[in-house]
Formats: sequence, C-alpha cells, structure tokens
Amino acid sequence: MSEIVLRVEKLTKRYGSLVAVNNLSMEVREGEVFGFLGPNGAGKTTSISMMCGLLQPDSGRVLVHGAPIAGGSADVRARVGVCPQEVTLWGKLTCIEQLVFIGQMYGVAGRIARERGERLLEELDLIEKRNKQAHTLSGGMKRRLNLAMALVHNPDIVVLDEAEAGLDPQSRVRVREYIQSLARSKTVILTTHNMDEAERIADRVAIIDHGRLLVVDTPEVLKNSIGQGDVVEIVLGEGIERTRCSASLQERLGEQTTVTAANGTLTIHARDAVNLLPAIIEELNRAGLKPAGVHLRESTLEDVFIHLTGRRLRE
Amino acid sequence: MRLWHIFVKSMREQARDIGVLFLTLIFAPLFVLLYWLWIPSGSTAYTVLVLDQDDGVQMADGSSWSAAAEAIQAIEGVTYADGKPLLVTRAVDGQDEGKAALKDRKGVVLITFSEDFSRSVQAVREGDQSTSVPIIFGGDLTNPYYPIAAILATGAVDGYIQQATGRQPLAQYIEQPLGASAARTEFEVYVPGLLVMGAILLIFQATMAITREVEAGTLRRLQITRMNAFELLGGMSATLALVGAAATILTFLTAQALGFRSQGPLWVAVLIGVVTTFSTIGIGLLMACFAKNVAQAFVIANFPLALLMFFSGAIFPIPRLTLFTVAGRGIALNDLLPPAHAVVALNKIFTLGAGLGEVLYELAALLLLSILYFAIGVWLFQRMHLRAE
Repeated sequence: MSEIVLRVEKLTKRYGSLVAVNNLSMEVREGEVFGFLGPNGAGKTTSISMMCGLLQPDSGRVLVHGAPIAGGSADVRARVGVCPQEVTLWGKLTCIEQLVFIGQMYGVAGRIARERGERLLEELDLIEKRNKQAHTLSGGMKRRLNLAMALVHNPDIVVLDEAEAGLDPQSRVRVREYIQSLARSKTVILTTHNMDEAERIADRVAIIDHGRLLVVDTPEVLKNSIGQGDVVEIVLGEGIERTRCSASLQERLGEQTTVTAANGTLTIHARDAVNLLPAIIEELNRAGLKPAGVHLRESTLEDVFIHLTGRRLRE
Repeated sequence: MRLWHIFVKSMREQARDIGVLFLTLIFAPLFVLLYWLWIPSGSTAYTVLVLDQDDGVQMADGSSWSAAAEAIQAIEGVTYADGKPLLVTRAVDGQDEGKAALKDRKGVVLITFSEDFSRSVQAVREGDQSTSVPIIFGGDLTNPYYPIAAILATGAVDGYIQQATGRQPLAQYIEQPLGASAARTEFEVYVPGLLVMGAILLIFQATMAITREVEAGTLRRLQITRMNAFELLGGMSATLALVGAAATILTFLTAQALGFRSQGPLWVAVLIGVVTTFSTIGIGLLMACFAKNVAQAFVIANFPLALLMFFSGAIFPIPRLTLFTVAGRGIALNDLLPPAHAVVALNKIFTLGAGLGEVLYELAALLLLSILYFAIGVWLFQRMHLRAE
C-alpha cells in the first residue's frame, strides 16, 4: 500500500448560508493520479484551494505528509505545486524569467531554477519561446507555461485545476501525456470536467456535488457500480410514450438493469447487454415502437457522473 | 534575497512598460516646463485698471499738470528685484468698462482718480492740511490676486503723494526680506510645490503596481510560496523609489535649465525629494491593501492624493492644527502628511539657503513617516492579501 501523502479530514467551508464544502474527507496516495470531479459549483476549486493552503477551512484540516497545511510552515506549502484554473502569469516577463522567479520565491537557487525551467520548457514544447514575454504567447502556450510554473520548485504533490481547459487537441494530448509522465515521480490531483481525460489518466476518482463527497474509487469500480458494464442507447422519436415503454422494459429485463428515458432516448445499463438485445427489440415491437437507432457501448465515467449528479444544469 | 529577486522582476516589468515609465519620468519635469512657459517673465505681473477722471491743474506758465498721470507712472514703477514689472496699468474709459474687466478677470484692481485729484494734491502741497486726496480702489475681493495688487498699488500711490506733497509719513516702514526671498521669481517660488506634487502623484503608480498583482491572480501564486509581504512590498517599493528618484532628479535638472536657482545645496533638496517619494510609496502600499483591482486602486488612491495635495501646503498654505507638543515643537495634524515636511524643507533650502543641518528635523520626519506607512502597509497587506482567506 502506497503512503498517504495528502489527507483531508472533515473539511467544511461556508460562504454565508452556502455550504461550499461539506464535511469532506478523503486520502490521496503517493504516486497516484487522483481525479477530482464534480459539476460546476460543486465545491472542487474551494476544496483544492484549501488543500494547497490558499483558503482557510471553517472546520476540518488538510494534512500534507502528516503536517497541517493551513497555518503550517512554508516548507509544507512548498511540497504542493498548484496550477490554477485561470492562467496567472506575469505578462511582461519571458517564459524562462517567470519560471526562475517563481522558483526563487520557493527558495530554489537561481541556477537550479533556471536548469529546471529550461527542462520544463523543453518537456512542454515551449523551449523556442523561452525568451518571449508571456503576453505574446498563444492561449495553449500560456496554459502549458501555467503548468510549468506549478512544477519548477519540484513539489511532491501537483494540483492541476482544469489543466486541459481551453487547449486545442494537440496541446491537450501533450499535456495529458505530460501529466501521465509526472505520475511516475509525483502525486497528481486533477480537477476536470473532461470525463474522458479523467478515465484515461486517473488511478482513482472522487466525485463531489453540493460540497459532499459522493464516491471515491477506481474508474473501473465506479463504472461497474452503476451499470454492470454496458450501455444500450435506443433513439426514439419525440412524442412517443417513453415512460410506459421504459417501465415495461424495466419489468422485462429485471432489477439487474436500469432503464432511464430522457430527450427522446432510452438508456439501458446492463451487464452483457448484447445478450439482452433480442428481448429489448421484442419489447419495443410489442409496444409498437420503431427505434431510429440503437447504440451499444461500454459504460463510461460520464455515465457514472450523470448517474450520481443528475442531468440538471448547474450555474 | 527574495526581496532582491522581486526588485529585479519589478525593474524588468517597469523597463518593458516603456509608455508608463516615460510618463512617470516626464510628468513633473513637464509641469515645470509648462509653468515656465505660462510665466515667460518668471513672475506674474498684476494688471491694475485705471480710470483717470482727473481734470488736472492749469499752471502759472500755461501748461497743465496731472497728478493722476504721475501716480500712474509710480504704479508702473513697481518692479521685481530683477526689474521686471510687478504692476502693469490699463486705462479704462468708465466705471462700467472697469467693472466688466474685473468680472472677466482682465484686471485685478480698479483705481479711480477723481476730477479734483490734482487740485487736492496741489492744495496739500501748498499747505492746506485739511484737504484729503480721494482715490477709490475696487475689485473682486475673492480674487487671491486682489490683495497683492491692491497693497502694492496703494503703496505706490501713497509714496507718490508723499513725494508730491512733501508730507512726511507718521511711520517709516522698512521691509527686511528673509533670505533670498526678495529675489525669487514666481516660477522659482512654485518649483518646490511642483516637485512635491510630482512625488505625490507616484501614489497612483505604487497603488496600481501592487493591485495589478492582485487582479492578475499572480499574487495568489506568490501567496503559497515562501515569500512574505515585506519582501514583496519592499522589492516593488525599491523599484518605484528608483523611478521616483529619477523623476525627482529630472525635475530638478529641468527647473535649473529653465533658470531656477537654489540658495542651498541642491543635493540636500534632491535627498528631500527622494525621501518624499518613499513616503508617498508607503501611503500607496497602504491604499493597495484595500483594492482588489486596478480600477478600484485608482479610485482609492484619489483620497490620499487629495489629502496630500490640499492639506500638506504643497499647493497653497494651510493653517496648522496643533495636536500636541514634543520638546517645544508643536505637532500638527498635517505633520502626518509627508509633503508638509517636504514643502518646508525645500523652501528652507531653495529660498533661505539652508543646509542639511537645518532640515534635519524635516528629513527625520519624512523618514519616520515613510517607515511608519511602509510598516502599516506590510502588516495590513499580509493580513488582507497574503493570509489564507
């Protein structure tokens, strides 16, 4: 069992009557990529801010290698590197200047900060821009530099808040590969809306909503927990009495499956859905329904996410 | 060491923001230049409107003599020490024209010589002690130039009447100017105020430079490093102080090139100017504690700016409201405003020829206030911006 590098204990943060984070407890292990998921306004950024010492919890605490981060020493804070959601760079400094500067602010010697900065720029495909001022970079380059800024002081834990937001596909792949490469030597906590990204790179995933932790486990376990593996999506026309149909299907397929109807589509979560297809088609024929399309796929983290947090739009 | 790194980083940012740096450096020198252009002679000449209704007197030889014409010549004879006119006269044809000119501020004071002005002067000259010489003075008493022009013109006319009538005055007034004050042109009188104003305006730079870190989110990045408020504000202040010092020196050089003369050592004046910029930056830091973005910083900085400009005596004299006395020296409310000390010190150096020893109190007060405002700024900034919320 890997060492627990970050422990969150009963963390609560209120803003007036709003409870942004409600009694959150979890543990992050050394060397893992930990996905921290939730809809907009779920309390992800507030939780992350408390985890890196930017925000003081109303109750509870965050321990980094067993030492409290809030009100703790600078040494404890320096073990965490944060890549904030917003790009925060000094526009008039060059790429290498900002990396050296932020390194120096963490107490890294100038020469070492420069060496690390050069390496980070190389690894994130920014070396050609090393002497360009940040305000001249493209959005994707700025995001990559934003990531490098979190790493120059060589922290044990790297917190990435929506690190892939606003990136083009090429940059997204590059950053994703880089995060995966980091996981060999560091613990990575990442918040994202991109379920595909989380599923691909996270060893474990926590889903929070309304400030509460809903689940935390590996993506595989989470996927199996809600749909036994497969998803069948049956596209029906608008105006069809879907409720009656979904009820009869649910009755026919039994309790091991879940049938939901929304936006003209019936969604069936089931194990070995291929074997259930004849029964499903037969039931649709009996109901006099002619599907516009039938899709069979494996269930994803997004299914888990929607299952747990609902379809209602946030913010 | 981190303070040094922040200083270097701020210097780089400052140097790359050429437009802002240029404006900061040239602001006060430009003001000095504009002021010099505004007063080409170096001093204001006050316009005296003259309504000459004097009938004059027919002399025994058939010629006519006008006392009013001689009195007007006496007014025009009032000059600065360098010979440049202090009063200039402009004839008006009637009361209505005179009043209209006063309303439009085309003149400062209206002097009316009545029909019997010459006859009265002659009567006194011939021994009639019961006769008084009628002269009417008028003007807008709220115009700050009025009392100056009225007093100077009164003195000139009075002097003429004494000379014309041979009547001796009861008292002989002898003016003894302090230091070189008699020889100062108005341009020279205003230079210290302009210098101090240049330093005061740095408050915007100081407040906005720090608030920019808050607004851009870079402060949050720094918040979780080992850096503290002293290092951040110290490093940024050092950059601003350097820019302020450069602006102050440039202003002095500009003023000197335009004919400004200092009676005391210029390096002491430069020192006072530089320390004044430190104290202004200290106040700017204090204001940055309350701002979350640059627009807010700009609005907030206006408050101390107005206090420093109008209650320190930099723009116009202000009465001292003494709070308490320390070692026989009254400490007034406006002593909390650094420019108040700078104005006094610069006046002593420029006009009265004071050296370092004579402005030590003001210099010490400026340094103390700089440290005080900086310390409060650091304490507040740590609490309001660098502590976990």
